[in-house]
Amino acid sequence: MSAEMANEIKLISGRSHPELSDKIAKRLGIEVARTISLNYSNQETSFTVGESVRDEDVFIVQSTATGDVNEGLMELLIMISACRTASARRITAVIPNFPYARQDKKDKSRAPISARLVANMLQTAGANHIVTVDLHASQIQGFFSVPVDNLYAEPSFLRYIRENFNPEDCVIVSPDAGGAKRATSIADHLNTAFALIHKERPRPNVVGRMVLVGNVEDKVAILVDDMADTCGTLVKAAAVLKENGAKSVLALVTHGILSGNAIETLNGSVLTALVVTNTVPLGDKVQRCPKLRVIDISPTVAEAIRRTHNGESVSYLFTHAPV
Amino acid sequence: MVRNIVVLGGNSHPALVDSVCNALSLPPCNRILTKFSSGESRCEIQDSVRGKDVYIIQTGFGGNGSRLNDHFMDLCIMISACKTGSARRVTAVLPLFPYSRQPDLPYNKAGAPLFKAGSESGKKDYTFDSVPATPAPGIPKTAGLTNGTDITSKLLKTSLTNGNGVQSPIKQNGDGYFPANGVNGTTTPSPVTRTGAYTTHDYENLSHIGAFQAKPGYKQWVAQAGTLVANLLNCAGADHVITMDLHDPQVQGFFDVPVDNLYGRPLLKRYIQQHIPNYKDAVIISPDAGGAKRATAIADSMGVDFALIHKERRPTKITDRQNASMMLVGDVRDRICILVDDLLDTGNTITRAAKLCKKEGATKIYALLTHGVFSGDAINRVQASAIDKVVVTNSVPQDKHKALLGPKLDVLDISPIFAEAIRRVHHGESISVLFNHD
Repeated sequence: MSAEMANEIKLISGRSHPELSDKIAKRLGIEVARTISLNYSNQETSFTVGESVRDEDVFIVQSTATGDVNEGLMELLIMISACRTASARRITAVIPNFPYARQDKKDKSRAPISARLVANMLQTAGANHIVTVDLHASQIQGFFSVPVDNLYAEPSFLRYIRENFNPEDCVIVSPDAGGAKRATSIADHLNTAFALIHKERPRPNVVGRMVLVGNVEDKVAILVDDMADTCGTLVKAAAVLKENGAKSVLALVTHGILSGNAIETLNGSVLTALVVTNTVPLGDKVQRCPKLRVIDISPTVAEAIRRTHNGESVSYLFTHAPV
Repeated sequence: MVRNIVVLGGNSHPALVDSVCNALSLPPCNRILTKFSSGESRCEIQDSVRGKDVYIIQTGFGGNGSRLNDHFMDLCIMISACKTGSARRVTAVLPLFPYSRQPDLPYNKAGAPLFKAGSESGKKDYTFDSVPATPAPGIPKTAGLTNGTDITSKLLKTSLTNGNGVQSPIKQNGDGYFPANGVNGTTTPSPVTRTGAYTTHDYENLSHIGAFQAKPGYKQWVAQAGTLVANLLNCAGADHVITMDLHDPQVQGFFDVPVDNLYGRPLLKRYIQQHIPNYKDAVIISPDAGGAKRATAIADSMGVDFALIHKERRPTKITDRQNASMMLVGDVRDRICILVDDLLDTGNTITRAAKLCKKEGATKIYALLTHGVFSGDAINRVQASAIDKVVVTNSVPQDKHKALLGPKLDVLDISPIFAEAIRRVHHGESISVLFNHD
């Protein structure tokens, strides 16, 4: 009994997204563990542990802040490695926005499969379990030999749509063929129509020609995707939908990376709203972009942590969003 | 011309890549190595590496607008890309090994781990250059700057004359890092931040650090990243590692693959013989006990006297004698001092050692170091110190340091050593000749 008593949740927060960690901690009714990360003047990252993690169930929350992906990743690896050296019973890396998820295949000669490298690095550092949200490609789970819980933002999105719109007026649109499955799943749950935009992508971060497949006339077109980076795709897709007679266009996206000129692009677009979850720290982007709405994902992540710790099933969370 | 070999360079030290390639008379491998707008590294290797012997040169140095962790991730990604591109063997060439020198405990001046951040406030009567080299929470960025000793005023003067050049690397360290860190980022109440023109260590988020305290009864400890870095290189797929003057030779043991630790010693020795007049009468000094072996090796092989500086870690009452915690073992009166160490980071150790030597009557002070990182306010500190000449190798880019320090800094070229090591490793020849070559 006493051994079980000692095994508690230790929530460790990286520097990339302390707001999310605080929300998760609040939800779980615990405090974030006393640790501190800093950079030496020679830019090496240092991590100091201020309390015992021996035999505890450690959850390390680290998202990847836009622009500082490698810093965040290195910090996460050092934190995991430190907890392992400190005899933690189990180390779960909670990475809401999995870094390098888009580099998941060898799409040209000698291109790195960086997602697999990240997976290997996390395991090398000593992660026993991974919790993430809406992996860009669920096959990334196969890069790991440890369990990966891929949570979905879909239940939260469904609730958002039901609360704000009449599903009968909506069309769910996938901005590319790859996201069709994600979009159809939402359309099926809401019992609404579905449309798809086919696009050509000549180079990364550049968007080519777009063709709409389906009917959006006089409907609220809801674009669904897993990440919004430079927002070029979304904005172009929105314009195509508007041209095809959509009443209004909004976008539901899990990871709001919003790099480069994304905010300016959004502000100048026909999109009425971009709804993202807080998997990625948004900083002042909410102030800079009036179209940006944020859904809090921390209840889902916190519940996944609680269930993982207690050895309960997390599959309930794939269809339900805790309030 | 060496066949079947590919030399691939990272972004950390393009000049070294070029000169190594020159020495091997082959062109560097074409590659794209940039960042996506999201901050993820983008790497594409444009020349074929199938069946080739690949050498990837990336040093552990962030500066000139780049970041150390980016370079390290780039290295891992490049290794992994070559491996998936069917390279026969991938060798990581790290002239300066990153994370090789991490302090084990957050020591303060008195030698005790820093439990309480507040306890530092009463110790403001240190001179500037007595700030301990080990960064730790609770030590303010500009600790010890409050008293107006001559060295401080000197430093301020130099920082003024150097103007923007000095400021920029510091700025890049301190500002704009993790910009999305909304809660703590802007509200920093800064009693010590921007008062001086330079910083001791990069602590963004001072408010957070000030509040940091270990749980009662728990002795906080600092994570050691050395093993992790070794494991990550292994996991990325490095088959061989070449580095130079590892701070701890034990790091070699962290790897499952062969590690060739080259020595900068022959270069330093040659410099002494060629550039220091009457070097036979000089004294070679190790600024701390850990580097004694390195220094004695040079001293013995040249038949030069040796001295050692002992750092006292025991809690001692600081009196008016400023270097109470340092002792010089050996005689330096009226002689030339040659300080020998492996790494100059913030320059604390070496400048303090120089000060002590000067006080003990040394006529001229040379500082010879393999790696000149010059982080934080090192440039200012070295500029104001008693050191007459700093000699470093180009294991990290030195152009900027050279521009700031001028004739005070001499840079030795290590590319022939690395080129020769790469050639020998590629042909399967022994490289031990490089170890005892004088």
